[in-house]
Amino acid sequence: MSLLIALRRLAHVRLGELSRRTTAVTLSSGARLSGLRSFTVGTQALRSDKVTFHFINRDGEKITVKGSPGDTLLDIVINEDLDFDGFGACEGTLACSTCHLIFDEEVYKKLGRVTDEEMDMLDLAYGLTETSRLGCQICLTKSLEGMVARVPDSVTDIRQSKDESA
Amino acid sequence: MAILNSFTTACLKNIPGNALNKHLFFTLRAFYNSQSRSVLGISEERAISPPIGLERTTVKNLKEMPGPSALANFIEFFWRDGFSRIHEIQLEHSKKYGKIFKSRFGPQLVVSIADRDLVAQVLRSESAAPQRGNMDSWKEYRDLRGRSTGLISAEGEDWLRMRSVLRQLIMRPRDVAVFSDDVNAVVDDLIKRICVLRSQESDGATVLNVNDLYFNYAMEAVAAILYECRLGCLENEVPQETQEYISALHLMFSSFKTTMYAGAIPKWLRTIIPKPWEEFCLSWDGLFKFSLIHVNKRFEEIKTQLERGDEVKGGLLTHMLVTKQMSLEDIYANVTEMLLAGVDTTSFTLSWATYMLALHPHIQQQIFTEVTNTLGPEKVATANDVQHLPLIRGLVKETLRLFPVLPGNGRVTQDDLILGGYFIPKGTQLALCHYSTSLDDENFTEALDFRPDRWLRKDTSDHVDNFGSIPFGYGIRSCIGRRIAELEMHLLLTRLIQKFHIGLSPLTDEVKAKTHGLLCPGAPINLQFIDREIQT
Repeated sequence: MSLLIALRRLAHVRLGELSRRTTAVTLSSGARLSGLRSFTVGTQALRSDKVTFHFINRDGEKITVKGSPGDTLLDIVINEDLDFDGFGACEGTLACSTCHLIFDEEVYKKLGRVTDEEMDMLDLAYGLTETSRLGCQICLTKSLEGMVARVPDSVTDIRQSKDESA
Repeated sequence: MAILNSFTTACLKNIPGNALNKHLFFTLRAFYNSQSRSVLGISEERAISPPIGLERTTVKNLKEMPGPSALANFIEFFWRDGFSRIHEIQLEHSKKYGKIFKSRFGPQLVVSIADRDLVAQVLRSESAAPQRGNMDSWKEYRDLRGRSTGLISAEGEDWLRMRSVLRQLIMRPRDVAVFSDDVNAVVDDLIKRICVLRSQESDGATVLNVNDLYFNYAMEAVAAILYECRLGCLENEVPQETQEYISALHLMFSSFKTTMYAGAIPKWLRTIIPKPWEEFCLSWDGLFKFSLIHVNKRFEEIKTQLERGDEVKGGLLTHMLVTKQMSLEDIYANVTEMLLAGVDTTSFTLSWATYMLALHPHIQQQIFTEVTNTLGPEKVATANDVQHLPLIRGLVKETLRLFPVLPGNGRVTQDDLILGGYFIPKGTQLALCHYSTSLDDENFTEALDFRPDRWLRKDTSDHVDNFGSIPFGYGIRSCIGRRIAELEMHLLLTRLIQKFHIGLSPLTDEVKAKTHGLLCPGAPINLQFIDREIQT
């Protein structure tokens, strides 16, 4: 199982590599691979000014991290190695809703448009609220400096706490 | 694009195997086996902690779960050809036995779940590499020929490794949106083909058995994306190579039941009844051969370009070949399985969608109005326009709700679970009954009605907590081709509605669904395509 988790981490790292590869890849023979128009993954991260962002984990603890504008909130969770069990299972490919985050209303309004595909996946999120979004769809911007997102309980958490009290 | 019905596959595979193995030859032993298995280690000490809201004493074991007897099931499937009615039997059984019930196919126990919240519970608690069902026969063929497994047939770490690569390439809507022009070029060809076909009919409007047409469309579109080349499926003369592939594909599905026998028949019996296994291998040979031709062709082109020092440009296949995140054998296996999974799944859905439009002219008119108000009479839609066409999205969702191309899907539990008050031990084969939950009035009001507008949202806070209709599955093992399939369907349906009034041909009787591995039209659907007047 730990190998599987390691593989997942590895795949996350590849995500970043892929986005760089889309622009130009130099091959050993000197030829260039370019214009992979199909793969517009990720946005070019500006490495200059980091943005501070806070998560409240399932135990209610506040975790403060810094991320680059353009990174998604899921990228930050991966890069900072934050341990939110089961978070981002599909690696930001809009096939699940495990990177579900809950925001305060004022923050929610700043997060930009929700696509139809995100709405469809949010329909299937556990513990959905009116200010829920998927972390993989939210890119960090300067305007989100100091903002907070709460990681909701997962199904397994609820089961565990009930088990413990039983 | 829903990946093959692996639950059915698993069941079919197990049924015949058990049938031959146990019922025909070792009847007594089979009964002994199923008896002993029914208690499946559910001893007192394994009655683990109770689930939410349930006291320890109320957790029941599998023995107490209702369901049809093994004998009744055997008669249903073999005597009354239940295989083609799997979806109806699912519905009948869930009404009769409740939303969780067990069925026994010889010693193979299947726990069926026809409740959306229980389906949600199963899918939300999945591990990193969920397993659908038994794919031994697929694996055996690949071992025999020295081929790799692809996303359908692989399990565990092999599966996760390939999935991790492929999902980064074809699962994000924005990565798939760039294929709009490729898909639209195929739509152009389809429109031309419709005009040729209808001109050959006496009324100048009818296209017979539209599924054939959509089959060729889906194959051409998937190939354009996967192989970066056109196959000529929509030409008046289909090239020989492509025809051979189509034959292999038809052999694979026409002999679906037999091929599933093939994997399940004990090896020693193959010397006595060799045909099913031979056909199974033959059809796979054909499918792999086709992929090899196209992948190798592109591979050689890239090599030549590199040797000359030219710039290498390309799409999906080029990317896979150049980045080498997967071996060449993995690429062969995955493009083969993706092409196999992406053709009739899409064509059946398109057949049903246009059939429903023909049956409901007022709904067709409503969608036509939306399309022309958004695009005008001429503008060709791309992926970016689809967000402004909510009824087109609703049309695809509603079609897949009424006719989920995978009426059921499978999962093998990877941990002990408590589901609906029953203790389900690790390793149990579950059947998620999507057909039943889709047609359940508790999940969808007036569930049998065709209403694409039920999917419209008032605003972004208008959510429905609903696992009732998840035609592409949910989570890490959901359909990897979903966004490609949606793009193909959205762009084609938009253009058809924009260009034609779609009517029912008098040659078409009421068409009911039947299961043939996938849920498909039980009879040919013949439709009329009548040109819309262009209003200026």
